[in-house]
Amino acid sequence: MKELTQRQIFDYLLNQGIENFIGVPDSTMKYFIEQGFKKNKILITTREEEAIGIAVGMSLSRSNSLVFMQNAGFANSLSTITSLVQLYKIPMIFLIGWRGFLKNDAPEHTKIGKIQPKLLQALSLQSKILNEKNWRVSCDWALKLIKETKPCALILKRDFLD
Amino acid sequence: MIRKEAINIVAEKIGNQPIISANGFISRDLFEVCDKNSNFYMIGSMGLASSIGLGVALKSTKKKIFVFDGDGNILMNLGSFITIGTTKPENLVHVIFDNNSHESTGGQPTATNKIQLSKIAKSVNFKVFQVKTKKQLVKIFQKIKSIPGPIMVIVKIEKGGIISKRISIEPSKIKNRFMDSLKK
Repeated sequence: MKELTQRQIFDYLLNQGIENFIGVPDSTMKYFIEQGFKKNKILITTREEEAIGIAVGMSLSRSNSLVFMQNAGFANSLSTITSLVQLYKIPMIFLIGWRGFLKNDAPEHTKIGKIQPKLLQALSLQSKILNEKNWRVSCDWALKLIKETKPCALILKRDFLD
Repeated sequence: MIRKEAINIVAEKIGNQPIISANGFISRDLFEVCDKNSNFYMIGSMGLASSIGLGVALKSTKKKIFVFDGDGNILMNLGSFITIGTTKPENLVHVIFDNNSHESTGGQPTATNKIQLSKIAKSVNFKVFQVKTKKQLVKIFQKIKSIPGPIMVIVKIEKGGIISKRISIEPSKIKNRFMDSLKK
């Protein structure tokens, strides 16, 4: 996704009431995170589950969070999502960078990238894929869900090779 | 001192202030000795009590937030030390009940007798206190009242003891009543 769009998505979510952006960096969303640093709103954690835990605590204090991670980190977090986020019905937006979307991405991403949609489905975690045209609609959809105290995911495809 | 005795003493000392308690026997003991709206029983997601506590502490800055953790729990999420140590919440008190074992899974050993958790915590900006007796425990919770955090209290307890009943409150109810208690 283009640099400008990533920055716009960050600004949009911030303006719409997401107060905390917590997670583990992913190059797919490099500019999104950079924009967050500019606004002094990013908290980088050591692992993805830790980020989710902090976001849960902030949600208990009525402050909404987005948790960002790569899909490998999402896979790390499955048990935390089921036994904490979903069990207690904690609203939060996951922003997940999708490595292995391209079939010729680096080999370590191939298998997990292939099963990424199935993982979301298995968890019954509602999600939308962001693109240049629909990002605002998808963000509005996610913002509406967290108002209903439902967690959800926005997916950012890794559509380039380096 | 067994875990339930230690939890009883600390819960009594801190009164109505918010507690995030780790899964396993720690939450079960707390539920039995002193159930209240401001207890958040984390029944799954092992290791994350300290992270949840950090999130609450960073956003509810007028309240002092207590984390009731176990040695097995904290060893699964030592990374949380790094984030607590860099965000330095003054209102966070991290209590670790250390019996050097994974008690609720059958008493398998943890490594806390081979490493010094206190040194790790000190190196990431915690003020660390260690206690072994009931008397010391009562004293320390008097003392830390006026000290800014992050504070860690490592409570050495004996292995074994009483097994408390499971938490019978629905998770979403645990959440809702905890959230309401934070507003007061």
